[in-house]
Amino acid sequence: MNAARRTRDVLEGLSRLFAALVLATAVCYVVGFTAWTTWISFTDSALLPDYTFVGFKHYERLLGSRVFLVAYGNLAIYGVGFIVGAAATGLLLAILIDQKIRAENALRTIYLYPMALSFVVTGTVWAWLLNPDIGIENFVRGLGWDNFRFDWLIDSDLAIYAVVIAALWQASGFAMALLLAGLRSLDADIYKAAQIDGASPARMYLRIMVPAIWPIVVSVLVILLQIAIKTYDLVRALTAGGPGIATTLPTNVVYDYMFQRGEMGAGSAAAVMLLLSLLLVMVPYALFQRLQKRRQQRHD
Amino acid sequence: MTRHHRRALLLACSLGLAHTSLHAEPRLTVISQWSAGAEGAAMDAFGNLVKKEGVTWQHSPVSGFTTDMMNKLRADIIAGHLPAAAQLKGPDIKAWSAIAPTVNMNDVVAASDFPQNVSPDLAKLHKPQGNWIALPLHIYRVNTLYASKKALDRIGATALPRTWDEFNSMAGKMAEAGITPVAHGGIAWGDTMYFELVLAGISPNAYQRAIMQLDDQALRGPEVLAGLRQLRQLTQWMNPSNAGQHWSVFLPALMRGEYGFLMMGGWASGVLKRGKFQEGKDFLCGPTPNDSQRPAFDMNADSLVFWDTRNPDLLAGQKIAAKVVMGKEFARTFTQINGSVPVRTDVDLADAGYQDCQRDAARNLKEAIAANQVLMSLGHNMAQPSGVTGELRDVLTEFVHNKRITAEQAQQRLVKAADAVR
Repeated sequence: MNAARRTRDVLEGLSRLFAALVLATAVCYVVGFTAWTTWISFTDSALLPDYTFVGFKHYERLLGSRVFLVAYGNLAIYGVGFIVGAAATGLLLAILIDQKIRAENALRTIYLYPMALSFVVTGTVWAWLLNPDIGIENFVRGLGWDNFRFDWLIDSDLAIYAVVIAALWQASGFAMALLLAGLRSLDADIYKAAQIDGASPARMYLRIMVPAIWPIVVSVLVILLQIAIKTYDLVRALTAGGPGIATTLPTNVVYDYMFQRGEMGAGSAAAVMLLLSLLLVMVPYALFQRLQKRRQQRHD
Repeated sequence: MTRHHRRALLLACSLGLAHTSLHAEPRLTVISQWSAGAEGAAMDAFGNLVKKEGVTWQHSPVSGFTTDMMNKLRADIIAGHLPAAAQLKGPDIKAWSAIAPTVNMNDVVAASDFPQNVSPDLAKLHKPQGNWIALPLHIYRVNTLYASKKALDRIGATALPRTWDEFNSMAGKMAEAGITPVAHGGIAWGDTMYFELVLAGISPNAYQRAIMQLDDQALRGPEVLAGLRQLRQLTQWMNPSNAGQHWSVFLPALMRGEYGFLMMGGWASGVLKRGKFQEGKDFLCGPTPNDSQRPAFDMNADSLVFWDTRNPDLLAGQKIAAKVVMGKEFARTFTQINGSVPVRTDVDLADAGYQDCQRDAARNLKEAIAANQVLMSLGHNMAQPSGVTGELRDVLTEFVHNKRITAEQAQQRLVKAADAVR
């Protein structure tokens, strides 16, 4: 009896120790390096860290630079297009697959498969597909529609939407998989009850099923959000930030300043602003959730 | 192991140590981005020349972009583990030599006839504080024009255009004949380079002031505006579908006569040579149009910086390697393999290992030095530190790919960009 308790104590101690180690590493890496980067962003660092304080110099320069404004405009278009688009496409696919169709496993695998590729591969393949000279435009013209045009990739105004298309192709299947799992976890009786009450399928899904799996929907949105904000490789492979600077995202700006221009201070400032932009979305969301929880508790 | 053995081993070790401290064993550790192809082969040949002088050659290529190699160098500097020599170029030599100690090579250089036989503008970049700490390895002429022989035949032309007016009239004829006149890819540095070639061709002097000295008045001047207008004209003759692609993708189509002209540094000759295309038969090669009536040379050069490792073996290796690099044998061997032009202007290029285009570039360099019109390339990080280049590059690449931006607007943006980094 005593020995069993001792073993349990030892195990518990060990698990705490390991948890503490992991936590310490995480704190060191995430908080420590975030703090260090923030500090560097206020210094005159160029090729190597240099701790001469220069205040908001880099921030002012970045905010006044065109590439920075273009990058954030792009992030807004890309972020909204990607998150809403991937979630909506994923939901549609999930609902369609949920109809007890034949070859469900095969279809599910096909839809999920792009997620197994890296963004670099996606970018390269779509660069070919979307290139007017060798891709879809050329193919459709070859079929006889001589005036068909699909040149988003090389149009400065539309190229960012071409990036969204490639990203949607990559991530929609992932959203589908999570949402489908959610739909399947619901009690089948709900379907029957709704059917008996005469709800149309569309109404049934939008009014009953989706609200029932809302926590999963939120998780999907949050995961897509962080994918959107950290996207770098897709643009690099698909458009190289172009035509011109038309599809540059904030991550590309960070890399450019850090490594190509050799301006560590300005690069860090760009990175910190990226973090702030993430917080701008996450903090209101967290507050909103807290508020909701409190309201719920009051109701209970 | 018996005690006896151990003692013998210890003795052997201490003898070995004594030996090295008495006589340095020359050794050279080098990092560069040249790992494969003609570039890798040129480095191997360099290694063989150094080895012949009794130096142990340890080359660690970091393939990929120059920035990848720089990241390795940065890591080496932070770790206090410097290589004896590293490939760097232009203003980067000054920037990097400020963060790590270098070796003063003045005595080795002074003992040679090297300084008298190189471009003073190039030499300057290798002594940022007045002392020689680096040496140039080779030069490429950036202002090189390649024309498709098939495309020229179709418009009945036999020679390259010499001025921008001639170029425009030939390109116009090509466009009428259904040929895309300009075979340009569309990556940011390439867009920057096209502006640089146009401005250098309109007025080398304006290029020196506006781009190399970042002079505000010159940037606001009529030559820069004329350059941007000519660049806008060139963009009308490019294939917009090429945006974001590397220039070399379009070489086969250029040789087939689907494109007319390509402006690219001399390294394109090497690529064409490897593709079994012949100068004179498949393409013509010469300087890009120049309205100044005096020869100009837009330069891209790679160099070797010598780091102070506080190691006598490496120091001995550095001095020998420096001597080798400054010699004519190295100049010939290295440039014949990678298709560049010797740094020394007194090297004879009659050898069959050279292409006509290289000979033309070498002659061009000599004449430009005499005319005081040697220019440093903006697109290839020779004119300005990379931070300044990046700022101008963003303006130029956007201008090339967005035809709604007027030349006047682009000029204002260039002025503003220069203000931000000056």
